[in-house]
Amino acid sequence: MDEERLDRSRRIGWLNLDAIARARILMVGAGALGNEVGKCLALSGFRHVTVVDMDHVVGSNLNRCLFFSKEDASGRRLKAEVVAQGMNALSPDMEAVPVPTRIEEMSDPGFHDHDVVLGCLDNIAARLHVNARAYQAGRVYIDGGMEGLTGKVMVVRPPKGACIQCGMNRSHARVAGLRFSCTGKDVVFHEPRLAAEITTTSIVSALMVREAVKHVSGRGEMLLANTLYYDGQRNVAEEAEVQVNPDCPVHGGI
Amino acid sequence: MVTLPFRIKVKNAETGAAVEMELEDENTVDEIIESAATFWNKDMGAYVLRKGKKVLRGGASLKDASIRTDDVLELIPDPEGG
Repeated sequence: MDEERLDRSRRIGWLNLDAIARARILMVGAGALGNEVGKCLALSGFRHVTVVDMDHVVGSNLNRCLFFSKEDASGRRLKAEVVAQGMNALSPDMEAVPVPTRIEEMSDPGFHDHDVVLGCLDNIAARLHVNARAYQAGRVYIDGGMEGLTGKVMVVRPPKGACIQCGMNRSHARVAGLRFSCTGKDVVFHEPRLAAEITTTSIVSALMVREAVKHVSGRGEMLLANTLYYDGQRNVAEEAEVQVNPDCPVHGGI
Repeated sequence: MVTLPFRIKVKNAETGAAVEMELEDENTVDEIIESAATFWNKDMGAYVLRKGKKVLRGGASLKDASIRTDDVLELIPDPEGG
C-alpha cells in the first residue's frame, strides 16, 4: 500500500476518488492562484483539467508560482501551457490541456463540457463573465481572490443561492476591468496595491480545491455555504452570506 | 413622513478602528462604503459591508437593509487579485 500513489487519500472515507478521476475541471486563470490550484488538483487525483489563460510568464510572477521558471519568463512562455505541463509532470494520470486564449473568446460548449469551474482570475470583468457562463450552464463555480494577506473564496451553486454578481456593489464597479496583478505591459496598474504573496495564495487555492473535491465526491452538504473571507494578518477565517440580489442580471433581474 | 437621523458604528476590519456615522433611512450601503473608505484613506479597490454574517447589498437603503440605530457594521476588503 505504500507504493500506491493515492493510498493516504483513500483513508479519508468520504473522498470519492473514482469520481475525482472522472471529473472534468475548467480552470480559468493560470497565474499565482492557477499554479497552486493546478498543483492541488494534480495531487488530489483529478485527471481532466482544461487550463485557460491568455497571458505570458514574466519575472515578477516567480515569487509565488510553482510551475514558472526564469527561463519561462525570459522565453515569454504562455502561462496556460507552462501550468498544464507542470500539472502533467506532477501526476502520471493527469491530462491537463492548455487553452491559451481569453476566457471571453472560449467557445460555448466549454462550460457545458465541464463539471466544475474554478476561477483563478485577477479582474472583476472576467469574474463576471465566468460567473454568468457557469451559472447559465448550471455548473458549480468556485471563485478565489486575494490581496496581500487577505483572501476570499465563494462557491456559486446554480440554481440556488447568490452568485458573484449578487455580491458586488459600487466599489466593484469602479475597479471592474482593472487587473490586480503585475504580469506585464498589458496590465493596467492599480496603485497603491499590496503585492500578492505565496502563503495567502496557497491558503485560498487549497480551500478552492477542497470545495471542488467535496462537490465532486457528492458531499454538497459539506460545501462552503456561500463566501469565506480570510485575513492572514488577524488569523481569522469567517463565513459570510451574500444574498441573492433581485436586480442581478444573472438571476434574471434588470 | 420625515425620518430622523440615527447613528451607527462602522468598523475597519483591517485595523480594528471604528467611526460613528449619522445617517438616515434613505442612505444606501454604497454610500456608507464610500464614506468609510474615504475616511480611512483606503486604496481604490473593492470593499463590502457586513452586518454580522450578512454581506449587505450595495444599492439597498438602510431601511431595506434593516439597519437601525447603534448597529455595528464592518467594512472588509473584497480581494479580487489572482
